[in-house]
Amino acid sequence: MTGTEPVEGTTIRLNLTVDGQDRSAAVDSRSLLVEALRDGFGVTAPKVGCATGDCGACTSRVDGLITKTCMRLAVSAEGSQVVTTQGLAEDGELSFVQEAFWSEQAFQCGYCLPGMIFAATELLARDPDPTDDDIRWALSGNLCRCTGYEAIVAAVRTAAARQREHLQRD
Amino acid sequence: MIGHPFTYRSPESAAEAVELVSAAPARTRVLGGGTWVVPECNRGESAPDLLVDLRRAGLDRIELVDDVVHVGATTTYTALMSSAIVLGHLPMLAAMARGITGGAQVQSQGTIGGSVVAARPQSDAPAVVAALGATLVMAGSQGERRVSGEAMFEAASRSCVRPDEILTRLEIPVQGAARWGYYKLKRSASSWPIATAAFVVDQHGSGSVTDARLVLGGVSGTPVHVDVRSVLVGGPLEPGRVDEAARLVAASVHSPWEDELAPGSYRLAVTHPVARRAMEMAMQQEDS
Repeated sequence: MTGTEPVEGTTIRLNLTVDGQDRSAAVDSRSLLVEALRDGFGVTAPKVGCATGDCGACTSRVDGLITKTCMRLAVSAEGSQVVTTQGLAEDGELSFVQEAFWSEQAFQCGYCLPGMIFAATELLARDPDPTDDDIRWALSGNLCRCTGYEAIVAAVRTAAARQREHLQRD
Repeated sequence: MIGHPFTYRSPESAAEAVELVSAAPARTRVLGGGTWVVPECNRGESAPDLLVDLRRAGLDRIELVDDVVHVGATTTYTALMSSAIVLGHLPMLAAMARGITGGAQVQSQGTIGGSVVAARPQSDAPAVVAALGATLVMAGSQGERRVSGEAMFEAASRSCVRPDEILTRLEIPVQGAARWGYYKLKRSASSWPIATAAFVVDQHGSGSVTDARLVLGGVSGTPVHVDVRSVLVGGPLEPGRVDEAARLVAASVHSPWEDELAPGSYRLAVTHPVARRAMEMAMQQEDS
């Protein structure tokens, strides 16, 4: 059984693999995972938006599953593999989804990117040729504050097309 | 940051979990997937001394046992959507999981048991598991307890699971050849349901209805069981009888639920079309 003792304000040591690196940081035992990532590990890609699971700005991949990290206690993630949008680029190359968000100008403030990019990446991993309805449903757990949804849907469409071209070339 | 101090435990068995929750039930909260309780604690609306997280308790198995599907309490919606047993034997449950609000994140974090125990009027799960004839299996210090039917949900946000117990699994009879329909009304893809209807119907080879269950969600504090058998049993499932059955529903809702999504009068007004659409889905379904 794992757990922590109740001492207010007590810091615990949290061990995570963050974007491919085994790391350890001191965090408050009452932290949400997104707070531990940002304040303890200095990884600021996941944002704190609503903290109620509605907006998706805190999304990261935890042990293979995309997760709203405001609804995870940091202490419950001990030993987990965490990938943030900071860790999606391989050897400095943006992923198809990241590249398409850039070229379609699919963001203004960028706050929603963690949720949008991970949701789109999940969709394209299981469906290389989604319809616009599929794209909209896949993005539906994420809110854009700048209301740039049309450009976001266009970016996912573009990413899908580029990924299909790439797969056909190989 | 959660504002109050708490102890966190993640027991590795149901027995260990029961021991933890029964020590000080009034000051303990149980985490299934955490999608409701963690934000509640973060907002300061709940301040338990102990959080018991079931994620390592081994309660996430799906098994088929003699025409009954055993669904572990911490089974996520993503697991329901991708389980061959659920897809094959409980298609309505799989459809409900695919339509959960909150995106792929909430589908892989939220659990069927968590939603049942939270018993929120607007959630998908309570009405669907009721329409499927589920039995809830709880573990407590006195042993196992089983509850089914209308007794599963006592009031808005209060299920039959007592604070000194944990829900370990749902036992749901296979749907077999039964046709089904699940319809929900909501404002947008990312909003909570306002009203839902879950419908399961058994028919003879001839098409004559032998049994039917219709349960409404979102329209009252607890799921509303509508007795549509008097209208549907003994005849074919056809538009006239379906509409007649749908007319029964408004009278079954005694105190309509009100919240920021819709007033009670709106919910009452939409019960008829929502119920009819769920029954029409079943009517139009290909033979399985």
